[in-house]
Order: sequence, then C-alpha cells, then structure tokens
Amino acid sequence: MAMPAGTPVIEARDLTRVYRRPRTSLTRPGEAVHALKGVSLSVARGERYGIVGESGSGKSTLLRLLCGLDRPTSGSIRFAGQEIVGRRDLRFLRNDLQIVFQDPMSSLDPRMRVRDIVAEPLVAQRLPVGTRVAELLDEVGLPAAAAERYPHQFSGGQRQRIAIARALAPAPKVLVADEAVSALDVSVRGQILNLLADLIDAHGLTLVFVSHDLSVVRHVCESVAVMSEGEIVESGAVDEVWAEPKHPYTRTLLRAVPTLEGLL
Amino acid sequence: MKLLSVEGLSVRAGELELVREVSFAIAPGERVGLIGESGSGKSLTALSLMGLLPEGVSASGTAVLGGHRLLGVPEKRLKGLRGRTVSMVFQEPMTALNPLMRVGAQVSEVMTLHGRDRAAARARTLDLLDRVRLPHPAQIARAYPHQLSGGQRQRVMLAIALANEPDLLICDEPTTALDVTVQKQMLELIAEVAPALLFITHDLAVVASMCERVLVMYGGRVVESGPMREVFTRPRHRYTEGLLDASRLTPRGTRLPTIKGSVPSAGAFPEGCVFRNRCPHAGPRCETEPALTGEAHGYACWHPGD
Repeated sequence: MAMPAGTPVIEARDLTRVYRRPRTSLTRPGEAVHALKGVSLSVARGERYGIVGESGSGKSTLLRLLCGLDRPTSGSIRFAGQEIVGRRDLRFLRNDLQIVFQDPMSSLDPRMRVRDIVAEPLVAQRLPVGTRVAELLDEVGLPAAAAERYPHQFSGGQRQRIAIARALAPAPKVLVADEAVSALDVSVRGQILNLLADLIDAHGLTLVFVSHDLSVVRHVCESVAVMSEGEIVESGAVDEVWAEPKHPYTRTLLRAVPTLEGLL
Repeated sequence: MKLLSVEGLSVRAGELELVREVSFAIAPGERVGLIGESGSGKSLTALSLMGLLPEGVSASGTAVLGGHRLLGVPEKRLKGLRGRTVSMVFQEPMTALNPLMRVGAQVSEVMTLHGRDRAAARARTLDLLDRVRLPHPAQIARAYPHQLSGGQRQRVMLAIALANEPDLLICDEPTTALDVTVQKQMLELIAEVAPALLFITHDLAVVASMCERVLVMYGGRVVESGPMREVFTRPRHRYTEGLLDASRLTPRGTRLPTIKGSVPSAGAFPEGCVFRNRCPHAGPRCETEPALTGEAHGYACWHPGD
C-alpha cells in the first residue's frame, strides 16, 4: 500500500482498555481493571521500536490492540494511515503485520508439519503458496527437509526460526516480536537476534520488539517506550533512556538487571 | 572441612548416560553456581542429590552431605534428610506448590513431617513467612497459591525450604519465571538466608551476583570449575568462553557473537570432547575425551584459551 514518506506505520492515540473481573457479588458488577490508561505512540516506517515492561504493565494488552486481536475501550489506532479500531475487514493488517511469539512450543501446532505451519498465513488469505515455503525455510537458515517434519523434532532455537518463517510468509511490512528470545538459551539468543537483524535489513521491515530486558532492547532497537501500570512512563531514543533514565521506574528497571560488565 | 562432597556422580536412563563422572564439593556457608544451558544435565545433578530422580533414571557414584550418604541409600533414609538436611527451591512455584492447600499448611507440613508438633509448627510458619519478607504473614498463611503473585509464591517455596534449617539449599532456576525487579529482591533474600547454596541457572550474570565458585556443565559433564571471578574473566574451556561472549550484548548494528549450532539432544553428543562439534578450535585430538585438569581452576579442554 502506497504511503507518503514520513507517515507513521503505527499511530496509536489515547488508548485505554478496561477489563472487568468476574463478578463476585450479585448486587455489584465485577471490579474494573484499567489495563491501559491512555497510551499514545507512533512508530515510523523502518523504525525498530522497543516496548519494555514487567508483567502487569499492560504491554501485552497494548500489543494485542496494535495487532488487532482485541479492541480498545477508547482511543484510535491507525495502521499505515487507516483506522483499525472498529473496522471489520482487517485483511490488510493480517498481511502487513505479523507476530513472533515468546514460546515457540505453544505457538506452533504440534500436529501440523512445518510446511503447513509456514504456509498457513498464505492459505488463510487465499494467497498462492507455490515455492514460498522452501524459500522461507532457506531464509531463516533451515534445511528444505525441515518442511516434512513436526515442531517437536526441532530445538527451541530452530522452532523460533520456524515461527519467523511463518511470520514472513505473507511478506509483511511490520514484524512484532513478543519476548521472542526470552525463552531461549543465551548461545541461541544471539543467533536469533542476528537472524532478525538480517531479515529486517533485507526486507526493509519495521520492528516492534517487546521485552522485559532493556539491555536486549538496546541492542536491537533505536527507540523505546517503558511501560508501567498501564502507562508509558518514559519514551525516546534508547541510548538516551539507557544513559539518563528520567523516570524513577526506568531507573529501578535498569538497576534490577544484573550485567556481567557491572559485576566483574 | 566439606559440607557436601560429590565423587563420580553419573546419572543414566537405561543405556543413555545423562550425567557423567561429576565431582565437586561445597564448604559450609559456600555459594556455588552450576551453570549450563538446557539439556546440559544440571537439573538432573541436583535432583539426584535430592533423591528425586524420575522413574527409570538412576544415579551412581558417591555424594556425602554432613556425614549422610545421599546416593544408593533406601528411600526411608532419604525421607529423613530431604526437607531437613537438604532442601530445594524449584523453578516454577505454581507447579511446585499444592493448589488445594493453604500455603501456611504447606509450610507447617514440612515441619510436622520431620517430627515437630503441630502448634509449634504453626507458630514457626508465621515467623518463616515473615523472614522471607511476605507482608501480613497471618493473611498469607490462609491464602491459596493461586491468590499469590509469582514472587510471593517463590517466597513461600523458600520458607518451606528453610523451615527445618537445612545445611544445604539447592535452588534450580528460582528466578527465571520472575520479573527482573522481583528477581533482584528474591536473589538478595536467598543470599541473605541460604546456609550453603548450590545455585542452578543458565544466566551468567545472576551467577556472578550470587556465587563465589562456579561449575560449568555441558553434555552431562563438568567442563570447567573454579572461583567465579577467575572463570568469568579468564575462561579456559572454549564452551565457557562462548557462553560469556554470547552473554555480552554488543552495540546496535553489530553482529552478536554466537556458539554455532545448538545443544544436541541427550545421547547425541559426540564421542571424546562433548563440545567438539560446536567448538571453533576442535581438532583430531578432541576425539579423545579430555580430563578435568587443574587445581582450584579446572577445565576439560585440549586447547584451552588464556
């Protein structure tokens, strides 16, 4: 889809999302949980945008909204200039935005062959599959023979490669990685981060990278938003946030992560 | 004077050797880290010390903790030691705690099982919950595990582990499932209350913040061991070197150093040096298995780094 240069790929304004706890009394409604309290952000084309926060910070809720998997209570989200809140036909979003989840064991169907897993986004959109699966497997560094096998026959790192191949299948413009390397061993984490960097460069992708670890975000992203209790408490260039965190929560977060450099 | 000494510990499942000839010792009050990736055999090592190996998996060798043998003794004897002389904190507090029992009862249980009377155990439960810094211990004691947060549950696990004042505390990835700020508090707490500690993790930075000495495991073997600071600043085994390089995040736009390939599945490690199919320095010599050599700082490598 043609876009004037400089238009943000994702532009969210004043997003709120209120969940209701199940009711515990006949006379009163369930307690309201304000998962997002007015979040705005803007991701430019080609940008690598990091979202950092702990469990309960609202980052998963925000991600679900941005991916069109849930609707905000109020606010607007424009994807490539088009409003997605309240819109029923989200096919363009499903093609242009793809997700890589944290746990490749639970995000890949154990009863499907890798070939069908990788082709599924194409099949679902009624796009031609052709030789795409072989190309995609090659691109993520898996042998062509992998297509005939099942997810449990692969290691954690290889499974994450399969998940990345699936995400790339419809040739998306935006890749969302939700804690995509958090469950991996450190020796494999580097391989996957290097692969992501290569693919982003090769396809000119925009990346939204969600993590609890600010040091990984610093390696991957240019910009970062730090979330706490349903709000973005600090955002900006990741190097500035890293060097001079302004919000007390960001400072707590930075101090909490043990680093080898700091300890030796 | 050693608190725990392990000699030639091997763990096998039928024909498959999962842990091979592991030897180490822990002095009273010492904090030792056991590092390795998933599939390296570190959890099996810990479980064999606790006598908690799954069915069909057996341990051989000797392990002596404060005069008590831990391997090859009847379950009845182990029952007397487990939870009293040695106890363990597991990775996932949601699965380690009983969802149908109030947490206070779970803390008391470990004391009544080891002969304390009910009233004394109940009173001590509140002290223990307070000691692991849970607010309002009386309220927490009446809660069920699902009503607590991950960090709170892990504190309850720690209270259970400490209930009988054990000589050795084993922690298996106790903070991996926790948020970083909660992890920090938990680590500080463990460091404060642990008598002697065997701390299992794949996170090198966490080990560096907790332990004086480290053992590096790969392919079921200890490939390097020594004082933490020395091993981390001057690793000799190429696997340790690779792990340390991979743990350091380089500036944006640069390639991250990696170890090629991935950890083989059990039984698929190469003969000779277990790391040779991933090692950039491997040569013909590595087809023979290197022994763990060196005194305080040992390594099992034919071409050590320096």
